[in-house]
Amino acid sequence: MYKSKLLSAAAVATAALLASPSHADTMGTPKISAMSILNGLENPWDMAFTKNGDMFFTEKCKGLSVKTKSGAVIKLAGMKDAKGYASSNSDLFCSGQAGMMGVAVDPNFKKNRRIYVASTSNKYHGSGCKTNFEKCDGNIVMRMEVSKDMKSVSNRVDIVKDIQYKPFESDHPFGGPGAHNGNRLRFGPEGYLWATTGDRHRGIVPQSPKLLGGNVLRIDTDGVAHPGNKPPKGFDKRMYTYGHRNVQGIDFRPSDGRAFTAEHGPWQNDEITALVNGGNGGWDPRPNVAGRGDCPDKYCGYMPNQKEGMLPAARAAFMPMSDERFSDLMPPAWNNNGLSQGTGSAAFLKGSNWGYWEGRLAVGIMGIGFGGTPSGMRIDVVDIAKNGKSIKSVIHMPTGLTKRFRGLRLGPDGALYAAVDEGEIYKITARK
Amino acid sequence: MSRIIIAVCFIFSIYPLNVFSGDIAAGEARYAQNCGNCHGPAGMGLASYPKIGGKEVPYLIDRLETYRAGTKIGPNSSLMIMMAQVLSDEEIANLAAYLSSVQK
Repeated sequence: MYKSKLLSAAAVATAALLASPSHADTMGTPKISAMSILNGLENPWDMAFTKNGDMFFTEKCKGLSVKTKSGAVIKLAGMKDAKGYASSNSDLFCSGQAGMMGVAVDPNFKKNRRIYVASTSNKYHGSGCKTNFEKCDGNIVMRMEVSKDMKSVSNRVDIVKDIQYKPFESDHPFGGPGAHNGNRLRFGPEGYLWATTGDRHRGIVPQSPKLLGGNVLRIDTDGVAHPGNKPPKGFDKRMYTYGHRNVQGIDFRPSDGRAFTAEHGPWQNDEITALVNGGNGGWDPRPNVAGRGDCPDKYCGYMPNQKEGMLPAARAAFMPMSDERFSDLMPPAWNNNGLSQGTGSAAFLKGSNWGYWEGRLAVGIMGIGFGGTPSGMRIDVVDIAKNGKSIKSVIHMPTGLTKRFRGLRLGPDGALYAAVDEGEIYKITARK
Repeated sequence: MSRIIIAVCFIFSIYPLNVFSGDIAAGEARYAQNCGNCHGPAGMGLASYPKIGGKEVPYLIDRLETYRAGTKIGPNSSLMIMMAQVLSDEEIANLAAYLSSVQK
């Protein structure tokens, strides 16, 4: 009797040990904590850090600011009608999903003080943009120089002026002007600037050889194409890849420098994709191709049955995110189990503090929940196979937050920073 | 006396009965099911989705009933029509009661 009680107690103790956090720690699972470091913001979209720890950040309808290492917040470059900024840019505006978005710090910032910002602008509309069915150069990438005291920016140069923009409302579920701009900026390990773009709800854009939209661009800091870009013959040389829908996440795998994108699906198939130089994302929302007929406002991106709930798999069969009829298709490594919940951005986790998650891709998911799809509002940690064609696992990061994760960026301190649509920026730390 | 009765009848002719009968707690629970995904906590407005917290009850009811009827009144109407088509009168009243109760 006594012996059996002892055995029972031992079994309970063993079970408790197996279930305890300390056991999990021996596996290398990091302990996660999240802390709000900025609040009261208006649609914060992206962040970029100096090596010193100064954090630049954008607000979609307001402008560019910096939170210095000392904690001071300084408003640097405002958009049209924004108040309290050191300088104003009357051509920069916001509408719907569009506005001031991506930001990146030059790898030689200490020397040249340069930063890069993607935004919507009316400066280069020219004779275009009069309807939704013509060229509309309305998204740009700017280069600016930050003063040594971090209180102002100057010498703005627009290094890309012809990224496509949607000027008017259309007959689609998310049909307002300003749809699908991409506009995430990141420097690659080779020191070139990578800029993502979106299809702007125009059917011909993603597969177009000349219109910048639905691409990932790889350019130098003057906006000139990387000499090694290999788009198909006749395509704009700034394109590293084409045939995307709306790339809002891009980062580079620490182990091999390979670029991966996180892309927002329509009502199906958010995707993570390993990019191939010159490759095709496989998104082709043109009417009257691939067995499809006419579509509302010449864009099939939400078809079929765009105004009612429908099985995501049936939608994907009709309007695939990655159409296998393209021989240069880059197949996705992950498609969110066939669902679209709104992948907004992505950042590889670097540093031993992340335990066995080190080297995995953190993916920010917003919150789209139509037609029975469960809402997202989380960060996934994705273990991608070495060849980039599949994943090994997905874990929901236990941040304790249910937010629309819009922008993710790893800081120089090894913490993950997250901008959420609710108007905050969080610092997410990991320790083993 | 008859003037009072006429005045009461007039008020009820302007504001349907359900304006006054919305259940705030039930509205909050219904809001959490779908609406918060886009409009954010307490209808604060997120991304390109408008702020709806703190709006007046008649406005909220009118908008939801208009969407439910399939009428477009803005660039994201198609989304709202889909979401509103399944709402009952009671759910609309509850949602309006909840959203109007949150701080502007």
